[in-house]
Amino acid sequence: MISLPHYLVVAAALFSLGVLGLLTRRNAVNVLMSIELILNSANVNLVAFSRFAAGNLGGQVFAVFVIVVAAAEVAVALAIVLTLYRLRRTPNLDAADILKG
Amino acid sequence: MTPEALVFWVFALVTVGSAAVVVLSRTLIYGAFALLFTFFGVAGLYVLLGADFLAATQLLIYVGGILVLLLFGVMLTHRINDLDLKSELGGLWDWLGPASVAVGLFVILSTTALKTKWQGAARPPAPTTGDIGRLFLGKFLLPFEAASVLLLVALVGAAMIVRRRRDA
Amino acid sequence: MEALQRSLALFGPEIAVVAGLLLVVVVDSIGAAWRNAAMRVVTLASLAVALGLAVDLRAAGAQATLFSGMLVVDPLGAAFKVILIAASLLTVLAFTFRNSRELHGLGQGELLALVLSLVLSSLLLAAANDLVMLYLALEMVSITSYVMVAYLKGDRMSNEASLKYVLFGAASTGTMLYGLSFLYGMAGTTALPGIQEFLAGGVPEANRFAIYAATLLVLAGFGFKIAAVPFHFWCPDVYQGAATPVTALLSVVPKTAGLAIALRFFYASLSAPGTGAWDLTGSIDWGRIVMLVSVLTMTAGNVAALTQTNMKRLLAYSSIAHAGYLLMGVVALSENGARGLLVYLGAYVFMNLGAFLVVTLVHLHEGTFDLRDYPGLYRRAPLLTIAMAFFLLSLVGIPPFVGFLGKLYVFGAIIEQGMGLYAVIAAANAALAAYYYFRVLKVMTIDAGNEDRPALKLAFADQAWLVLFALANVLPLFFWSGIDAWARGALVLYAGR
Repeated sequence: MISLPHYLVVAAALFSLGVLGLLTRRNAVNVLMSIELILNSANVNLVAFSRFAAGNLGGQVFAVFVIVVAAAEVAVALAIVLTLYRLRRTPNLDAADILKG
Repeated sequence: MTPEALVFWVFALVTVGSAAVVVLSRTLIYGAFALLFTFFGVAGLYVLLGADFLAATQLLIYVGGILVLLLFGVMLTHRINDLDLKSELGGLWDWLGPASVAVGLFVILSTTALKTKWQGAARPPAPTTGDIGRLFLGKFLLPFEAASVLLLVALVGAAMIVRRRRDA
Repeated sequence: MEALQRSLALFGPEIAVVAGLLLVVVVDSIGAAWRNAAMRVVTLASLAVALGLAVDLRAAGAQATLFSGMLVVDPLGAAFKVILIAASLLTVLAFTFRNSRELHGLGQGELLALVLSLVLSSLLLAAANDLVMLYLALEMVSITSYVMVAYLKGDRMSNEASLKYVLFGAASTGTMLYGLSFLYGMAGTTALPGIQEFLAGGVPEANRFAIYAATLLVLAGFGFKIAAVPFHFWCPDVYQGAATPVTALLSVVPKTAGLAIALRFFYASLSAPGTGAWDLTGSIDWGRIVMLVSVLTMTAGNVAALTQTNMKRLLAYSSIAHAGYLLMGVVALSENGARGLLVYLGAYVFMNLGAFLVVTLVHLHEGTFDLRDYPGLYRRAPLLTIAMAFFLLSLVGIPPFVGFLGKLYVFGAIIEQGMGLYAVIAAANAALAAYYYFRVLKVMTIDAGNEDRPALKLAFADQAWLVLFALANVLPLFFWSGIDAWARGALVLYAGR
């Protein structure tokens, strides 16, 4: 019988993988993808709670807003990555080292 | 195993498996396509949870919008001669720290999820679109409108950042 | 419909700002030559109207929840709003496109629209009463800030800073979201008062850990916004990379909103109704955790500032340290703590904006942000140096400057709660900070150098603003009782349903 904990564990796995990506990846687009994993994991949590533990649609509505915010964030982030790439010819975070200390 | 359980496990494995590929893959394009499968998997989970509107939104926006944007980002920042063979991930030791953090997090969060007694009413699956619509124009009206301002700002902002220098 | 009308009546400041924002976007799309002046007028007008409405709101003392519990209006919130809007208005007035060399030649409409968006989202954040509103407003503030920092898109450093900011910020708020989802799952509602009710109803032992995890993750999100340790790493790079007027704005507005919502969140959700004690969530003493964060933050900021020569980075670290002092007001979680927070924030606005204005003007005339180019300024720009002296002494916290007033209040609040050791550590930090503030003053006045450079000719408007900010740093002490009464009157936090 599939119930709440199943979904929560899947979400936890997504979250952990996202954090792993944040800590290890050097390429800005990769980091962005890891952040999307984290956001999706939170969304799965919200929808699962809405179904099993809340009895209302608040979680689902919250999830829709998260998706909206994610879209805006990705747009802005990619705009910045693109500009950085134009200036430095690489989207790698390692190369973004002018600021130190 | 009931059909529902089977479907769940399929989607769960697709989601987590492709997420692993996203994080571990050496080639950016493979990672981006794996992300596609992750989003599909999540949409499938939403359907299983009875969130029909959300599943459709996920597919439309995450796959149809965000992923496409990411793919553009990947392709526009890809150097012509860059075959991405150079491992940016380093050797095994570089992995140890972050991997243990990630595994630790997973263990902590899963045990929390499993041990907690989640009380509260369950909501049996039912069509959600109408109800969500009513919520958007009712209880959640203010966030709904604020979100449109957010999108305006993001639009103006992203366009301004990317646009080539113009005369002020 | 009636409820909507009632909500709108108390929503005045936000409506003024939104109207301004939309108007600026529309005017910017008209290609006429006068549009820059027009947009500036629209921005200033909408901020001024918003300020007036916010002051009204504060005076009226209204307490209500708006828009089906999404926002809460109360005197304390209104007080925070007044500070927010006033800070933004002052920034737009004092930092123009003319006196900031970094902004020369860039489009004005977008930046003004972004300023209005920042103000709007900060207003929404400071009043949020629901998880959805909280998250949305927080992300609006963040995304607007990312774009503002990326404004100098031709500048490599600015680009790198904004990229780091986006990635770090998105990661922090994503993590915080995961924590918020747990809160929703346990309480079954997204409303903050509902969460408080749930926690007050007694939490079974098995669920304790979930709450700890959730609260920690939420703290991560707040910590990022106010640049508290260990989420402060973006701050120096971003402050340095952004255009100085943007930095000035970012050093004040998001911090105010972040502290307002932190105070409200801990008060409205995590503490026992009415008493404001930190005891609701079980055995973990959240007060102590926030205290630890506060101490780490002020120390990290002060220590790092000691060796800085770039003025923007120095002020960034100084900002981080002040976030540590401001957190004292949150730790106290009492009436006096909230009052201290208000007064300190008000003082902080004037000290910080003044300091950044000086840095901007020096850059305008000298083209440098490096402290090592500052010697001789006393001779070459006496008004500037004297004003800077006021700001620096205020930042140190010496009477009769307004910075002292702020510190007095927060120190008083925590001593009243019996946290003596905390107060001692904070005082030691303030003393440590005095070193680098005095160092700047010394370089400007006593150090030899630049003898052959001519005097700085400051525009009249710039001189006027320097004088105004300098006076604002001293005069409040004479109106102390008035300010005290205003702050006291604001101490009503409405735990709305």
